[in-house]
Amino acid sequence: MSIEEQVKDILARITRVDKNIITREATFKEIKADSLDVVQALVAVEETFGIEIPDEEAQKFQNFGDFVSFVENRVAQKEKV
Amino acid sequence: MSVEGKLALVTGSGRGIGRAIALKLASQGADIIVNFFRHRESAEQTARDVVALGAKAEVIRANVGDPEKVNEIFDVIGNKFGHLDILINNAASGVGRPLVDIDVKAWEWTMDINVRACLLCAQRAAKLMEGRGGKIVSISSLGSRFVLPNYTVVGVSKAALEALTRYLAIELAPQGICVNAVAASAVETEALKFYFKEGLIKDSRQATPAGRMVIPEDVANVVAFLCSEEAFMIRGQTIVIDGGTSVGLFTLAGKGE
Repeated sequence: MSIEEQVKDILARITRVDKNIITREATFKEIKADSLDVVQALVAVEETFGIEIPDEEAQKFQNFGDFVSFVENRVAQKEKV
Repeated sequence: MSVEGKLALVTGSGRGIGRAIALKLASQGADIIVNFFRHRESAEQTARDVVALGAKAEVIRANVGDPEKVNEIFDVIGNKFGHLDILINNAASGVGRPLVDIDVKAWEWTMDINVRACLLCAQRAAKLMEGRGGKIVSISSLGSRFVLPNYTVVGVSKAALEALTRYLAIELAPQGICVNAVAASAVETEALKFYFKEGLIKDSRQATPAGRMVIPEDVANVVAFLCSEEAFMIRGQTIVIDGGTSVGLFTLAGKGE
C-alpha cells in the first residue's frame, strides 16, 4: 500500500469519515478533522513510519496533500540514511 | 535543601513549567530524565542546559497517555539506572471546548494524559524507589477548583489528579515516598499563548494581587522544595501558586480596581 493510502487509512479511522472524501486537495476542515484529530493522526503516522513531524511543520499543512507530501519526504530521507 | 545526586524524571520537560523544573532540580545537583512527546528540539535544548549546569541528562520520547509508552520509559530507566528518586508528573494536554462539545475522544485524550499517566508513572516509579524512598510531585492547575471558560475537561482531570495525589500520598507513605501536587494559576508559557490567542482566558496580570503573572520558575521553586527533605511532613497536599489570585475573589472577577 502506498504511503498516501496508509495515511488516508489512518486519518479516516480517526475522523470516521468516508475515505473517498480524503483527496489531496481536501482541507482538514473538509475532512472534519478537529485539532485533536490532527494531533492523533500525526502521532499515528509518526509511529507507523518511524518519523517525527514537528508541530511547526504540521501547522503549515493546508490540505491532505501537504500532509502526505511531508510524510513521503521524511520517509524518503529516512530510507537514504 | 538539596537533591544532590538524585535521579529525577520530569515528564513533558522540553518546554514551559517542566523545563523550569528540570533546570531547577539540575541546578541543585539532580540528574534529569527529560521526557517529551512532540518537540524534540526543545527537549534536547533542556538536556543541553541540564548538562551545562553540571548534571547528567537523558532524553526519552514518549506519549505518557499511552500505557505501553509509559512502560517503555520505566524499562529504560530501570535498565540504565536501576532506580529513581524523583518523579515529576508534569506532562499535560487538553481540549479547550465548551462543555457541550466535549466528546468521548476529547475526554479520554485529556484524562489519559493528565490523570491515568500520573497513576501509571507513580506505580512504576514506586517500584524503582523501593528501599530508598522518593518524591512524587504532580502539576495541577487552579482549574481543578475554579471554573475557567472552555476548561471543563482539563479542570476535571486536574481535580482527579489532586485526589489521586492524596491517595498516593497515603498508600506510598510506608515506602518513604512523599507525594504532593502544586496548582498554579495561568503561567506564562507557550501553552498559555495558545489560550490567549484563542481568547479562552483573559490576561490575568491585573487580577494577580502579587502584581505579576506566575512564571515557570515560581512553580519550579515550590516543586524543588517539595522534593527536599525539609518538606518531609507535607503529604498529599496541593500547594497553590497564584500570587494571591484565588483568595482575592474580587480581583479574580476583575473588580479589584
